[in-house]
This record gives sequence, structure tokens and C-alpha cells, in this order.
Amino acid sequence: MRPAGTVVYDRVVADAGAALSAALDRSLTGYAVLEPQDTLLLDEDGAGVFALRDGAPVAAAHTDTGRRGADAVADAAVSGPYRVTLHRHPPGPDHDPAAAVDPGVPADILADDAALAERTRRVAPADAASPAADSPDAVGAFLENEEKIDAIRERAREEAAERAAEWGFEDALD
Amino acid sequence: MVEALAVASGKGGTGKTTATLALGMALAEEHDVTVVDADTGMANLLFHAGLDGAETTLHDLLIEGADATLADATYERFGMRVVPCGTDLADFAAADPGRLRDVVADLAADTDVLLLDSPATLGSKSAVLPVVLADRVVLVLQPTVPALSDGLKVQEYAVSYDTGIAGVLFNRVRDPAAVEEVESTGADYFEGPTLGAVPEDDAAPAARRAGRPLLEHAPDSDAAAAFREAAAALDVRPGDSTAVAERFRQAVVPEEP
Repeated sequence: MRPAGTVVYDRVVADAGAALSAALDRSLTGYAVLEPQDTLLLDEDGAGVFALRDGAPVAAAHTDTGRRGADAVADAAVSGPYRVTLHRHPPGPDHDPAAAVDPGVPADILADDAALAERTRRVAPADAASPAADSPDAVGAFLENEEKIDAIRERAREEAAERAAEWGFEDALD
Repeated sequence: MVEALAVASGKGGTGKTTATLALGMALAEEHDVTVVDADTGMANLLFHAGLDGAETTLHDLLIEGADATLADATYERFGMRVVPCGTDLADFAAADPGRLRDVVADLAADTDVLLLDSPATLGSKSAVLPVVLADRVVLVLQPTVPALSDGLKVQEYAVSYDTGIAGVLFNRVRDPAAVEEVESTGADYFEGPTLGAVPEDDAAPAARRAGRPLLEHAPDSDAAAAFREAAAALDVRPGDSTAVAERFRQAVVPEEP
């Protein structure tokens, strides 16, 4: 799944909820690319690519892990700011069924925002995926990505050590 | 003999303060418990404990030159000692987080279990300080991707600062299958045992509105029962009070630049 069409929005927002809201508020049909700004975390330029219909995500893929659907959403989940790029593009042929997501799932997984998920589901086209990608699946997909979990833990340890120096906690370090 | 436990989440909305007071009340059946609102920037424990009218709070102990004593800021409530924090931003600005070390040291000398309700962030020195000072951390998490991600970060901070992990308490659980998923797929990632899974329960916000801890307001609720089970699963490991107090006093905390 490759984003195409005219870029209508491109900026860094505070979190994934703001990124998803930007697409929803524009009722955009096309693509959204969500790139976590904490790139140190992954040491790569991985991004979540979402196909949008009327502002609601209907399919997802991850540029780094190559996974699709709810797994791809879990791969894009990082707390903190995201760079969001919105592309306006006419709806194409149906996406790979493996990439389909329930429209509320990205808001649930990336932003933990039930209200945004519900708002998204209400505007999503009737033929969008049914809510099969429920929370246990998303949690499982997130935890199965061992590389990503290791990266989160490693980055946190580095941050803890940097801050120990900054805040004078060195004596507490192992 | 005392053990200091930081109750932390790394993320807001996990019900950490509800959990702190619930664990405190359950542990108070066997131990002498003191609960401290160590979230000095966004205090809310006082609302949960009906102490919003408290005249003296932790803030008054953290301000240089203030003449309040620890006894003034300590309230006997619900079978525990509670040290609330105020909500005045001016007081927060004037507070010296380093003084928390001395307050915790004084409290440690006179209790069995010291629960530090910690800030839901790792963004500042005062937010990380409870994790640095505590013997171990209780992680309060919802079984969701963002909460697990932030919980892992708190865990790594704790381990980096030689603070142990007492366990993971899943709270506000809507789908028990998600907790099972964490226990099967993510069992290797968290250092401590799973203490329990507390279901999402309307009794918790109702208790908060009533200004009473959940175990006082709705002791027969499903959530209260689950918190009591979690407290029973927590193996309190009290250390020598003098040594713990001394460690707090020795913790190197520089002045704010």
C-alpha cells in the first residue's frame, strides 16, 4: 500500500490522537502516513500508512515491519509526537483484505481514545471491516514484535541514564 | 521495618490513585500503612480521600522556610496515615522536589508500608523521584498498547535506578482476554509477577465523586474484591527502617538550576 495523491496536510502533531483527528476532521479520502517522531526508538524510519475513506482508516500497513492490518497499527504505536502527512486520492480498488482494519482500531490502539474510535466508526463506510481486530489481538500483535519491545526498553534505559546525569541521580544507577 | 513502594503507571487514566488507596487500605489490615501523594504537580489523592479541605499538605513541607511539620500534613484516614498534596500551582512552583527525600525518610522511620502515589509521567525530575527513592515499584496498567508501552518505560527507569518491580496490577480491565494475552505473549517482558486484574467498575468513579476510597465506598464491588486479592498477592518485604531512612537522606538530589 503506497500513499499517492495530493498532499493536503503535513505537520508534526502532539500525539496519534491529533494525527487521526486531522484526517477525520477533513473527512479525507486517500491516505494518512503517521511517522513517530521518536525515531531513536526504532533506529529506522518506520511509519504507519493508513488508507482513508471519509476520514476513517479502513486499511493499514507498516513500512518497516511489512505487517498489515491490526498488526501494522500495533507496529506504529509509540507515545509522543507524530509527523502526519495526509494525501487526498480517489478511492482505489479494494485493498488487500489482510490490510483491512476496523476503522476505530487505530484510535483505540494508537491513542487509547474510545471517544475518537466511536466517532470514527460512525463516519466510516458501511462496508469497512467489522470490529474483528479487538483489543486482545492488538495487544498480542504489539507484544509479538519482540524487536520493537526490546527497542522501547533499551531506549528507556538510555533515557534513564541520560537523565540520571542531568538530574543528579547517578548514585542510584546500577 | 519498612518498605517504600512507588505506585506508578507512566500514563494517566489507569486509575493509579484509586489503586494506591485500595492497596493501602487492604494492606492496612495487616500492616501499618502510610500513603503519600507524590504527584506534586497534579495532586488528586486529596479528592479521593475526602481531604480537599486539608489545611496543611505535602506542598507546605516542600517549601523552603515554611514552618509546617510532618504531623500537620499527616491525616489518619481509613485505617491508614495519608499525606495529601495540595493543588495550588503557586505552591508547586515554590516547592523543592528534593525535600521529598527528607519527608519520605521521616515517614519511613515510623511505618511498615509506605505507598508513594507517583506522577503519571517520566517528564521531570520531580516525576521520576518517587521511582528513584522507592524500594520497589507497583506498575498499574490497563491492558492496552499505549499503557503497556509506557509501563515498560517506567519499568526500565526503575531497573536502571536499582529499584525493583513488585508486580504488575492490571486495572480498568474491560476484556480479561487482553490480560491473558499479556501474560502469555508478554510474560517475559515484565520483571514482576501479575498481582491481579481489576475490572472496569462504575463503583470507582462513584467513590471518587463521593470523596472516599473505593474499599470504603463500595467494599462489596467486584473492583474492591480484585484490589484486595492483588494486595494479598503483594509480598511486602520490609527492610530495616533506619537503613531505608538513611538511604532516602543520602539520595543525591541536586538543587533546581
